[in-house]
Amino acid sequence: MRHPTDGIVRRLVDDPAGVSQADREHVAGCPACLAGLAAAREDAALMTAALAWENPAITDAAPGTGAAPDVDRGWARLSQALDAGEHPGQASAGERPGRASVGERAAYPDRRRWRAALRSPVVAVAGVVALLAGAGAAAATDWLPIFRAEQITPVTAPEADLVKLPELSAFGRLDVTERVSVRRVSGPAAAEEAAGLTIPRVTELPRGVSGEPEYHVANRATAVFTYEAETAARTAAAAGESLPPPPARLDGSRFRLVAGPGVAAVWSAGRPVPAMVVGRLVAPKAYSEGIPFATARDYLLSLPILPPNVASQLRAFSGDGTTLPLFMSVEHLTSRQADVNGTPATVLASRDGVMAAVVWVNDGVVTAVAGSLSGDEVLTVARGLRWHR
Amino acid sequence: MEEQVELAGPPGPGPAAVLSVPGAVRAGWKDGGAVRAGWKDGGAVTALPGRGGVRPDLEMVFRGAYPRVVGVAARVLGSRDEAEDVAQEVFLTFGRSSVPAAEATGWLSVAAAHTALNHLRSGRRRVAREEFAGDADAVAGDVADAVVTLDERRRVRAALARLPRKQAVALVLRHSGLSYAEVAAALDLSPGSVGTTVRRAESALRKELNRHASSD
Repeated sequence: MRHPTDGIVRRLVDDPAGVSQADREHVAGCPACLAGLAAAREDAALMTAALAWENPAITDAAPGTGAAPDVDRGWARLSQALDAGEHPGQASAGERPGRASVGERAAYPDRRRWRAALRSPVVAVAGVVALLAGAGAAAATDWLPIFRAEQITPVTAPEADLVKLPELSAFGRLDVTERVSVRRVSGPAAAEEAAGLTIPRVTELPRGVSGEPEYHVANRATAVFTYEAETAARTAAAAGESLPPPPARLDGSRFRLVAGPGVAAVWSAGRPVPAMVVGRLVAPKAYSEGIPFATARDYLLSLPILPPNVASQLRAFSGDGTTLPLFMSVEHLTSRQADVNGTPATVLASRDGVMAAVVWVNDGVVTAVAGSLSGDEVLTVARGLRWHR
Repeated sequence: MEEQVELAGPPGPGPAAVLSVPGAVRAGWKDGGAVRAGWKDGGAVTALPGRGGVRPDLEMVFRGAYPRVVGVAARVLGSRDEAEDVAQEVFLTFGRSSVPAAEATGWLSVAAAHTALNHLRSGRRRVAREEFAGDADAVAGDVADAVVTLDERRRVRAALARLPRKQAVALVLRHSGLSYAEVAAALDLSPGSVGTTVRRAESALRKELNRHASSD
């Protein structure tokens, strides 16, 4: 009789009842299989020990068997998160009260805020919309808001520098007048009607993406930012810097920021992990009440609290406020230029090659295709989009 | 080592995910060309209205599955605190999903394993974990545990994050007490191949330990 497979021998270790009588008898009388069983048993025991988890609450518990987690406390925490309208990704941003993370919060407030922002709730539903809507998506995207996005240019920097980028609220007051709210709608027609944007059809799904997409719509988001010289000075002082005097009329001047609405088609087939997203968003715009874009920009970029390499890249943007910076960390992402049927586009890909996105702006609308795909795959999808039904 | 991990972004991919530091990524895996995230493609999806779009059976499922979900994540992360964070994240996703209730435990376990493995990969760890793990080492009476030093545990977890995703998840689920049949169902494996997948993972991790031991 031929030897049972390694898998069957492995099952003998912890579930012998699941192995056939014939296989059990074979192993019992076969020196080679017995040796294999002994090795499997040893490895399994080693892994049991290696994967054990500590239980700080009960120190004499055997690892891996510690007291059961506190279900009531867990449920209370989840309920709180649900009531607060949190979405996945937010809950673990170090917000548990009364835990050791308080020290972490005090030591790295910016880092924590940055991470929390990156894991914003909107990302959970339609990351495309979230980032580009700017409202709370990422501190970095709040920079240079005084513009209308007509093109997108990556700004690359080490992660450490991106973490240092201050948020708008470090320079004044940000009042969100229309909050981002994302909701699922029944289908493409409903999404198009709600957002007033065409959703292109994907002619051919890439390998590994299947099923019908879910459609999500985000409303328009607006905010008003008021520059406050005093707040800015406090931020600078906290960083051990002092600011040059602001240009005339900057103090107290207001800027209105608008982005959206947006739509996204999400292929996830009931999983928590969407395989692909096609999203569109009315490109962010900003309106200044008083001073011109260039004046505000030049002043902000001159501030000593901006990482110099980030500032110099932003400075290189055209002065007319039409370029949306896409902040990306050099450690994790690469970018390259491409075109989508004649429109310049930016392809972003994670360095470990596991996900990619292509983003472009056309007629005041940002479109993105992203997913657990390669750069070439997202480009192929983007170029094959059908815009008329 | 062959890398089969495939990221599909945070609970929503897109440029925001791409732009972000890798903290927020969740992974699926590629299996013969078909992307599966530990869930069956085309699973029944029905709208489940409730409080703010939250499924009405969430509390019932939570109370039944929370210890297991924490246990799965804790085996990957070695830290109960971090595992509880992961569990919160997973249940938030689940609460807004339409995963059939009968398949909830498998779904949650797979999601917990993925999310925890992503935490490992992204290095988003608490320093406290190592301290706690150190305490556990000190008090462990188990012989096998004495053999596995803190450093070895750390290496095993690092290696776990590098394993082909399906192997890593199968290993963690089996060691978290899911039956062979449950692991097979949750991962869309044939029941007969669960043992093989788990065995491969264990063998790869053992080699990793030996490699370091011999180079010490």
